[in-house]
Amino acid sequence: MKLLGRDIPARELIARIEERLRLRGLPTSEAAEVPEEGVEPRVDPLSFNLQALEENADPAQPLPLHTHRGGVGQLVVVAKWAFRKTCQVLINETLSRQRIFNGHVRDSYAQLSAEVLRLRREVEELKAAKPPTAAPPEPPPEPRVVPVRPRRPKAK
Amino acid sequence: MAVHQLIPSFVTGDATGQAALHLQLLLRRMGHFGELYAGEVGSGLESLAHPLSALRPAPDDLVLYHHGIASQLSGTLMHLSCRRGLVFHNISPARFYTGTPLAEALTSGRAQLAAMAPFVELAIGVSDFNSAELRAAGYRNVHTVPLFIEPERFAQASADPALLQRLQGPGPTVLSVSRVAPHKRFEDLLALHAELVRLRPQARLLIVGGYEPGSRYFKSLQRTAKTLPGVHFLGRLSHSELVAAYRSAQVFVSMSEHEGFGVPLIEAMAAEVPVLAFGAAAVPETLGGAGIAFDRKHFSFLAELVVEVTENRDLHQRLLQGQARRLTDLSAENSQAALAQALGKAASPRPPPRRPARKPKRPRVAIVVQRFGEVTGGAERHAQQLSEHLAPHWDLTLLTTCAKNHLSWENVFPPGPDTVDGLPVLRFPVTRTRNIRPFNALSNTVFHRANERLREEHWVAEQGPLCPGLLAHLETSREAYDAFIFFTYLYAPTVWGLPMVANRTLLVPTAHDEPPIRFGTYADVFERPRVLMCNTPEEVSLIQRFYPKHARARVVGVGVDRPQGSPQRFREQHGVHRPYLLYVGRLEPGKGIPELLSHHRALRERYADAPDLVLAGEAHMDLSGEGVRYVGRIDEQDKHDALAGALAVVVPSRFESLSLLTLEAFAQSTPVLVNGHSDVLVGQVERSGAGRAYKDLESFITGLREVGQERAPMGKKGLAYAKKYSWPKVVAAYQEELDRILEEKRQ
Repeated sequence: MKLLGRDIPARELIARIEERLRLRGLPTSEAAEVPEEGVEPRVDPLSFNLQALEENADPAQPLPLHTHRGGVGQLVVVAKWAFRKTCQVLINETLSRQRIFNGHVRDSYAQLSAEVLRLRREVEELKAAKPPTAAPPEPPPEPRVVPVRPRRPKAK
Repeated sequence: MAVHQLIPSFVTGDATGQAALHLQLLLRRMGHFGELYAGEVGSGLESLAHPLSALRPAPDDLVLYHHGIASQLSGTLMHLSCRRGLVFHNISPARFYTGTPLAEALTSGRAQLAAMAPFVELAIGVSDFNSAELRAAGYRNVHTVPLFIEPERFAQASADPALLQRLQGPGPTVLSVSRVAPHKRFEDLLALHAELVRLRPQARLLIVGGYEPGSRYFKSLQRTAKTLPGVHFLGRLSHSELVAAYRSAQVFVSMSEHEGFGVPLIEAMAAEVPVLAFGAAAVPETLGGAGIAFDRKHFSFLAELVVEVTENRDLHQRLLQGQARRLTDLSAENSQAALAQALGKAASPRPPPRRPARKPKRPRVAIVVQRFGEVTGGAERHAQQLSEHLAPHWDLTLLTTCAKNHLSWENVFPPGPDTVDGLPVLRFPVTRTRNIRPFNALSNTVFHRANERLREEHWVAEQGPLCPGLLAHLETSREAYDAFIFFTYLYAPTVWGLPMVANRTLLVPTAHDEPPIRFGTYADVFERPRVLMCNTPEEVSLIQRFYPKHARARVVGVGVDRPQGSPQRFREQHGVHRPYLLYVGRLEPGKGIPELLSHHRALRERYADAPDLVLAGEAHMDLSGEGVRYVGRIDEQDKHDALAGALAVVVPSRFESLSLLTLEAFAQSTPVLVNGHSDVLVGQVERSGAGRAYKDLESFITGLREVGQERAPMGKKGLAYAKKYSWPKVVAAYQEELDRILEEKRQ
């Protein structure tokens, strides 16, 4: 255990409290999970959005059944499940044109984002090929990129 | 350059909205005009924030977007054809919400953050921790501008007495303030409390913050809480109730595992509560060495620590002293310095001074007043008279609105340049009319209690007049004027415009003891101008009472003209043949007219020879009554004639900073009968010896009798008093103050 604070005699305070814990027969230090430190990594918007579009392009597919409520919330989940089971054919029919439209949006985004990546690469190559006129500014460190979230299981 | 702010949601109790208001406060102090725009504007807050559809920035304007969880506004920002900036409030890590729909919105928010990076020229993190995340997301020009609070709003006096009383009880009392969300780890607070009650069975845990009663997470907390004594979920509280909760606690504890800043930590410091916090994310930075940060959730240890902090007086004091020091680091002034650095020279509101072909011979001064020309109102008339007497000495421009009616602020005069009695006037349209009934209802909800800034600013906005054109003019044309004279502390153009040009401003506050003068939002109005040009010593005392750090104040007042009055002329013109009491001015409830009518009615019932009551001015209420004569608006000469012939002039308002009417009555050798609840009026009467004050019907009748019996000697004293108020003295005082500003400018 570490105590941080400019206005406290940390070592003395810890010793005093640990002594009291010992007298009470309690462990003075417990194994505890220390949460992840550091800043959150960058989420690459192009790949994140493309993957999100791929996952959500079909509006007839249900989202995972979920409720943050207890009690009545469970009933709502069952009702939603029953609705899906009995009305999926109608849902498919109602949203068929939306599915086609979303597919075009997804494909267009895929093409445009690929173009953006290709153009960025070309710009970098051109910049690298150009002889430097003055001391170039130091490039910022490459940000840490995490893969986007795992795919959701497809609903049956 | 205007600096506008864009926020996803502007609703009461939202931390981002509060941060935007604070930023707007700093921007105004730096001379920038700027409005708030929101994707969702809370019901009733339309006067304070505009819908997104109204955002039309000029190419040179900067729009600062407040980013948190995913919002469509990130796309809007990228497509704005102006300068773009971002304020990052951080996003809770999605790992705390895996498997819930919220995880999607949190990750999307981070993707949007990275997507905006190439389109933003300035990025502001509210902590160094947030700034580090901005850099990681690809931002280049990153600055930290810490959030701040207004510590005086957390003083004991701001606590709700009822809740304070209700929360009294045995201790130790542990408090945590935050919305109930999984990453805030309320289960850890309950675990700590379980250990604490073993040591101190009467210990209490107060949890303040919004929660969804039906949520699974909250229900599980409730189930655990039921097994423990002394746990209280207080939910969302009003500001004064929140202060009561802080002021009832002996220790503030945060178990949160992610904070981009942690405003409650510094609120607790302001409320003089020792802080214990798990050192997650930006928490150690916000604490800055104050309070106690811990790195492990060893609950039996922490329970002992809570006991130590509450019962070891020396440790308790040291913690409070350290926290007080930390609060000064996180001051508005320090945040403003950081913001100035972030905006840099490019954002300087001062355009390079244009060298005029010829140096102007006379000082150029703008007088800012809420209405001007053909309007009734003490402050407005004061402004008009002062302008007329200063005009021979300075190049004056009257900056005002197009409104004529102070209740509705409806635009009547055409916008643009105008001339009133030879004085150049520049008028700007009012963008929102006022409906007085809902406004009065709002007043009832904010008067006589402690509020957060948002509620006070909302009241100021509803009070109006909302005149963005005038504020924009102050920013863009500030160099066209050597100095500014603002009239009346109360209205929006003064509250929001004065800080923009404070170092060259003389304020004529016309302050009187009314509920809004207690609003902290008026602090800049009284503390930042060069000088307060007050009307009476009582006004200075009043300002001193509420704003001990007010700017230098001097009693200047006004000059009083003494034209010859002809009572006969007035009597003939209006058919008034009996002795009469007189009131001239706005005829509305706020001026105490209903009370005056009631006293006069009672007087008539008791005495057959009771004088008539003559009322003159703009009427906003029913004035019927036996012996009551309403003569409508009267011209200046008519007024002096009426004053000269009155048995006494009655001044029934409780809220007066000077009362020109009193001085004008004295100038016609007529005594006065004034409302004894107004310190200013009582002061005038006592100093002059030319009248009486009343507080109820009996003192009204007694005062009237005495005034009637001693009318001549009292009138003489009044005249002698009025002679002290001369325009040359007033003009000399204004010139002296302007010379100081010009001298400083030259140096």
